[in-house]
Amino acid sequence: MNLIVCLKPVPEPGTVKVDPETHTLKRASSELIINPPDRFALEMAVELKERYGGKVTALMMGPPNAVPLLKEAYALGADELVLLSDRAFAGSDTLATSYALAKAIQKLSPFDLVLMGKASIDGETAQVGPETGAWLGIPSITQVKTLVRGENDAWVARRIFEDFEEEVEFSPPAVITVEPETNDPRPPSLKRLLAVRNLEPQVLSARQVDCDPTKTGLSGSPTQVLDVFTPTYEGKREVLSGEPEEVVEKLVSILRERGLI
Amino acid sequence: MGGFWIYGEWGENGFHPVVYELISVARRLAPKLAEKVTVVVLGTDDLREAARELFRYGVEKVLLFIHPELSYFRDDLYAEILAAAIKERDPSVFLFGATAEGQALAPRVAGLLGLGLTAHCIAFEVDDEARLIQIRPSFGENVMAKIVSKTRPQMATVRPGVFPKAEPQASGEGEPEEIRLSEVPKSVLRRRAVYPVPRKESPLSEAKVVVAGGRGLLTKENFEKLHELAKLLSGAVGATRPVCHLGWISEEHMIGVSGETVAPRLYIGFGISGALQHTVGMEGSEVVVAVNTDPEATLMQRADIAVVGDATRILPLLIRRIREIKEGRDGAS
Ligand SMILES: Cc1cc2nc3c(=O)[nH]c(=O)nc-3n(C[C@H](O)[C@H](O)[C@H](O)COP(=O)(O)OP(=O)(O)OC[C@H]3O[C@@H](n4cnc5c(N)ncnc54)[C@H](O)[C@@H]3O)c2cc1C
Ligand SMILES: Nc1ncnc2c1ncn2[C@@H]1O[C@H](COP(=O)(O)O)[C@@H](O)[C@H]1O
Repeated sequence: MNLIVCLKPVPEPGTVKVDPETHTLKRASSELIINPPDRFALEMAVELKERYGGKVTALMMGPPNAVPLLKEAYALGADELVLLSDRAFAGSDTLATSYALAKAIQKLSPFDLVLMGKASIDGETAQVGPETGAWLGIPSITQVKTLVRGENDAWVARRIFEDFEEEVEFSPPAVITVEPETNDPRPPSLKRLLAVRNLEPQVLSARQVDCDPTKTGLSGSPTQVLDVFTPTYEGKREVLSGEPEEVVEKLVSILRERGLI
Repeated sequence: MGGFWIYGEWGENGFHPVVYELISVARRLAPKLAEKVTVVVLGTDDLREAARELFRYGVEKVLLFIHPELSYFRDDLYAEILAAAIKERDPSVFLFGATAEGQALAPRVAGLLGLGLTAHCIAFEVDDEARLIQIRPSFGENVMAKIVSKTRPQMATVRPGVFPKAEPQASGEGEPEEIRLSEVPKSVLRRRAVYPVPRKESPLSEAKVVVAGGRGLLTKENFEKLHELAKLLSGAVGATRPVCHLGWISEEHMIGVSGETVAPRLYIGFGISGALQHTVGMEGSEVVVAVNTDPEATLMQRADIAVVGDATRILPLLIRRIREIKEGRDGAS
């Protein structure tokens, strides 16, 4: 069984900067980590491999300095490491990202399942999974908490909606997004940590996966950030200051006047 | 043909509440784009009555796609049908609730047609060029982003609970346009079972009064006094993310992007700085009171009543004063 896990490199929270020209996030200068929700997707893939056999390929679209993250994925149970990296991808929105990932996944065919995190902590869109499924022309199943092989070729996923959970049967291939906190990601294995020292990920460029240049990067992204701003408020606010007893008295009388208490 | 489209998500109990929120957004914006407020519903004959009801909320058009195979949500099938409908009718805007279903469906439609899609919008504007400006918090860096889409329809998902629900009007009638599909694409997905999960009904989202605390309350003991205040005001207790992580209160009480959205008549925030990740969850509050030692804190700027002072002292005093009032020991009333 061929399992592909998409891992996104994200800046360590609190270290992001916004490029004043393009309004996109500047990533290169920050410390990168594996998008934390993606660890649950990786763990699910590794558990499936252990149960049903096969291999797990970790696929990451990102800058060259993301290589250590792929090596970390190896220590966590991935078998093959692929870095999709090209200047042409800079500034991609979710559609352009999913296009590039879909192209790379096609290169890695045949595969049975593509597993992704539910959402990334920097973008937090939860869009890349279903978009990738659409590009590949295969179903996407979101917010999955368990996945087992059923009868014949069918698989059964249990997925989460707001007030119910659904058990849905499907035949692979499919894109699965994994609900966070539904499994217990293992710690890195020492043996694998040693083994990965002599291993380099396969690096693929936009051309190598046959990307149409008009569909990648900033220019291939249909959404455009016009502006970023910090909200300012110029309401007619009332400022109360003084001794605590005093301000409490003032506050209470205002709230009573307005019928709020 | 055009149209200002809204996805009409439905379930066991009729339309999802977010549909009515989307209607109120559409009613405000559609006229500026000279488009009709249109709800698009996929389902079976059973939905006709409910679909007709939508006209009472100021909807101008309802498109009801009917086929027995549409009796429950299936990502691949629903997306194909919406994609075909878009190609045929060319709407200028298409909004979805950022629910589990909306977040599974909207990006799939976007992927099929190569469309831009903005996630989790909390505000919209229409500019001079009749573009829909989609505003969403940019989570990593505590700023808001204004986004436009180069493709049509301009698609976005909208955070539930942020916009007011459209109210039924005295008049408003109409007939849904029924589109009976003779055949539909084959879905790869087969539902085997559903298991109802009682929705963790958060007392926060419906509360009329929310008293929230942040790191400025300094200790768990101070924070826990909020429960007393909430009880006196028949309200609910909210919190910022850091204090949930400190274990002062469980995460169900978190307000913000990673937590609940509240829209009470009165919100009081004690020792809360007002990071965007928190304020997007309380933007809809009617009256905002902030208590902070720093008059320049963002929540103090946002507040209707900004109380400069030490929250750890003000909170117990406020509790005592309000208790006096409630117990009728108040000379003034
Ligand atoms: C991806 C992401 C998602 C997030 N999601 C959420 C979310 O859903 N909800 C959320 O709340 N946060 C969220 N956060 C965290 C958010 O960015 C802020 O860090 C958080 O809201 C700040 O909490 P706070 O106001 O309690 O603490 P601080 O920012 O530390 O503010 C404490 C405030 O207390 C004041 N103060 C100090 N002492 C006193 C005193 N004695 N009396 C009165 N005032 C005092 C200070 O002046 C300060 O303004 C998220 C962050 C990220 C990166
Ligand atoms: N650059 C990337 N490389 C690999 N996987 C990605 C990338 N961007 C997004 N993903 C996958 O898509 C999921 C959802 O991301 P998002 O739509 O940004 O919230 C992530 O959890 C990843 O599994």
